[in-house]
Amino acid sequence: MGIPSKRDLLAACLWAAATVAAVAVSDSVFLRTLLGAPMVFLVSGHSILRAIGVRTTSVLQHLTYAVGASFAAAIAGGFALNATGSLTPLGWAVWYCVVTAAAALVAAIRRDTPDLPAWPALVPLRLWQGAAVMLAMLVATGAYALAVRDEAVHREFKYTEFWLLPSASGESSRITVGIRSAETQPQRFDLEITLDGQPFAVFRSVAVAPGDTWTREIPVPALATRQMAEARLYRPEDNRLYRRVSTLVPRI
Amino acid sequence: MSAHFTAGTRITPLRTGIRFVSAVIGPDLRGGSVDASLQRANSGWIAVLCLTIATALFLVVAGHAAGRRGYDVAPLFFWSGVVLLVVPTSLRIAWPTTARAERLFLLFLLAESLFYCKVVYSPTSFIGHDELLHWIAAEDLISARRLFLSNPLLPIGPTYPALEILTTAIVNLTGLPLFVAGTLLLAVLRGTFIGALFLFFESITGSPRISAIACLAYMGCSTFFLFDSMFSYESLGIVLCVLTFAVEAASKDLVGRPRLKSLGLIALLLASLAVTHHLSAAFAAIYFGSLAALEAWRRHDPLRIKTSTAVGLAAILAIALPSLWVQARGIPLAAYLGPVIESGFDALLRKILGPAQRLEHLGVPDVALYMRLTTLLALLLVALGLATGFFRSLAMAAPSGARSGWRPIQDILKRRWHDSRIILLTLLAFGFPVSVAFRLTSAGWQIGNRMGTFVFIGVGLVVAVSVVHFWEGRTPRGLRRVAPAVALTVIVLGGVMSSSLNPIHGRYRVAADQESIEPMGIETARWTKEWLGAGNRFTTDRTNRLLLAGYGRQDVRVGVVQGIDPARIFEAETFGPDEFWALAGSDIDFLLIDLRLTTAPPVLGFYFQPWERQKGPLSGAALLKFNDVKGVTRIYDNGWIVIYDVRGLHGNS
Repeated sequence: MGIPSKRDLLAACLWAAATVAAVAVSDSVFLRTLLGAPMVFLVSGHSILRAIGVRTTSVLQHLTYAVGASFAAAIAGGFALNATGSLTPLGWAVWYCVVTAAAALVAAIRRDTPDLPAWPALVPLRLWQGAAVMLAMLVATGAYALAVRDEAVHREFKYTEFWLLPSASGESSRITVGIRSAETQPQRFDLEITLDGQPFAVFRSVAVAPGDTWTREIPVPALATRQMAEARLYRPEDNRLYRRVSTLVPRI
Repeated sequence: MSAHFTAGTRITPLRTGIRFVSAVIGPDLRGGSVDASLQRANSGWIAVLCLTIATALFLVVAGHAAGRRGYDVAPLFFWSGVVLLVVPTSLRIAWPTTARAERLFLLFLLAESLFYCKVVYSPTSFIGHDELLHWIAAEDLISARRLFLSNPLLPIGPTYPALEILTTAIVNLTGLPLFVAGTLLLAVLRGTFIGALFLFFESITGSPRISAIACLAYMGCSTFFLFDSMFSYESLGIVLCVLTFAVEAASKDLVGRPRLKSLGLIALLLASLAVTHHLSAAFAAIYFGSLAALEAWRRHDPLRIKTSTAVGLAAILAIALPSLWVQARGIPLAAYLGPVIESGFDALLRKILGPAQRLEHLGVPDVALYMRLTTLLALLLVALGLATGFFRSLAMAAPSGARSGWRPIQDILKRRWHDSRIILLTLLAFGFPVSVAFRLTSAGWQIGNRMGTFVFIGVGLVVAVSVVHFWEGRTPRGLRRVAPAVALTVIVLGGVMSSSLNPIHGRYRVAADQESIEPMGIETARWTKEWLGAGNRFTTDRTNRLLLAGYGRQDVRVGVVQGIDPARIFEAETFGPDEFWALAGSDIDFLLIDLRLTTAPPVLGFYFQPWERQKGPLSGAALLKFNDVKGVTRIYDNGWIVIYDVRGLHGNS
């Protein structure tokens, strides 16, 4: 026995309207996901399915077809919104609202709209079975959280980034030197800068902690010819050259 | 053994052999009604299996964590998790007396759990080569709010934008990050695929048991675990494809308006498929075209004309819609797919007809022995299933009166059958050995891999029919009950093991796509965006190209100038006039070199482009030759990765 009611169409329209309202006024990801995700995956497709009048014989069949029809609605929406230059959050919300409402209207007007398939009886769960399922969900979620943490914490390569660039602000009389540490321990460096091979600036015992960035903008004389600036990074403990970078100082 | 095999007297050895073979591979459908009487799902089993699967997933996560640190125990954790996940669930799904609802629930649980295993490899970002290509396209769509933006790393991608449209629709409506929205979409696609595949098989076989076993056998396909779960257009394409098959098969007995309504839904899905993925759309066209041809060819059916017309209309739509899209967008499909198909067939023919070519084996990566053995065993079991299920599967399509001996096959040869879909899927299973043969060649591997996605729909059906009507038989007990379920478990495990070179997250490996992506490369790409700004023209190796385009939002180039690949610039030991003029004449702003490439040969056989064949590891001197070139400056260095500014070569700075 199917379900002859058409109240689902009204519910779909209300859902679509609520999604538009949420997208228009709320920045809450939780609220918008609660309303928007079913809209993308199910609600619009359900209305389209009812509008076309495809008879489904089981809940599985209805849900599967509805998801497919929802995908079709989204894809068509992408092209329509692209043509009107409205690929924005509100554009999408309005699209889904219009499609859902129009499909629901067609389904409500037509006389031969098929009944919805009946819901199957739920499998009764005993207390221990319910607890086991809940525990399983908890373990799986916890394992995922561990995977996220492990990925964030683990770094195979420990390294120090070193760079030398013409000024970021575009001024021809400045260069920018930077150090960023992705090491496990704080580091200390000596930094020497030369201009066309001549010593120009020195920074002693620059300390950089893991995760920290050290940068300096250094004024250089602006000439009519391009100058080669070179920066060398030394580790004070062995005074060996650790990194070397260079850049061209733009002419005036 | 069939009764007539033991009843004869004075049987010669030859005749005995023939009768034995006939009994094994013949069309005898002995599974009776195949499905157990109506019964409720066993909630006790479901609860226990949920807990078992959760434990398995924890072990899988532990395996990845150990793999990242290079611990030897990683495979033990990971594979024990996968075995714990697959074995009990598959056994229960394939068990003869399990209820339909329970089979379905467990199929969804297994499919989503396998997807979970894929996601925890990289739980906060996309990492596969194709995934990064589509992620870049989706990021472009979100920022530019326009379709059809060029993508130099996947030139054909912008003309099939459905996946990006769907993902950005979720992002726009919910505010979720792109990775979360994409993963949510993929999880829904997994569930929809299994639901649609089950409904499709159920519509044509009428048996939830055969359908569930067929879905299980499909999971043995090498693309199920990883390739079709990736954030890539084929993951959506295959779902839409199977959905159209399911809708069409469910409407096969309808006539008049109800059939037209189903056709309306099929048209909607086929139109979506046409703009989603070229190969899936082509497969749908082949399927519906062949179905229409079979319908036109068969005879002795009173509903033939109406049925054939409906199938014919679906075939016209399936062929016309993708063709129209290709024409409308001017998609160079032949130029894109042609070389791959040509080189694949060429390699296969060389393998069959000529002596082994040395080049063919250069790029064959190393895979653990236990993975090879399991995959081989799974292949053998699938082959056994096909051999014992082929004629039985055909017999299922024969008129219901003809069920004894070889009569069903004779009827089919006389063009009498009641369902062309079964005939078509059974014949489709023939593609399996062809796809395996392609996979044995490095040039044809891509063809074999993609073929597998589609031919396994047929393989699933034939193997399921074989299990139910031959291996389990009418009253499955003891070994007959356990052995087929164990075989299906091995087939699913084989699918997981053949899905990639190493499904466990390991330490960095050179030129190995997802195994080469790690935080240092990502941070360098982010540095370029932060300090150089977006949109600079970069060229580098294959892995860093993806990172620069994705995380750095740079304009990466796969060629330096027309006809000159980056390999030529990077591999030369010295910076000669050829390299100088190529770079000076180009519009490249920056070169990025990764010294880790000098530590080992490329795992996939190439550093820059798939068609290049590497002779050995790159040398450090070759990569660092730009240090002393006038006009080139070394603006960034982190010890492994160096960025050179080459604008001084063409007077832009």
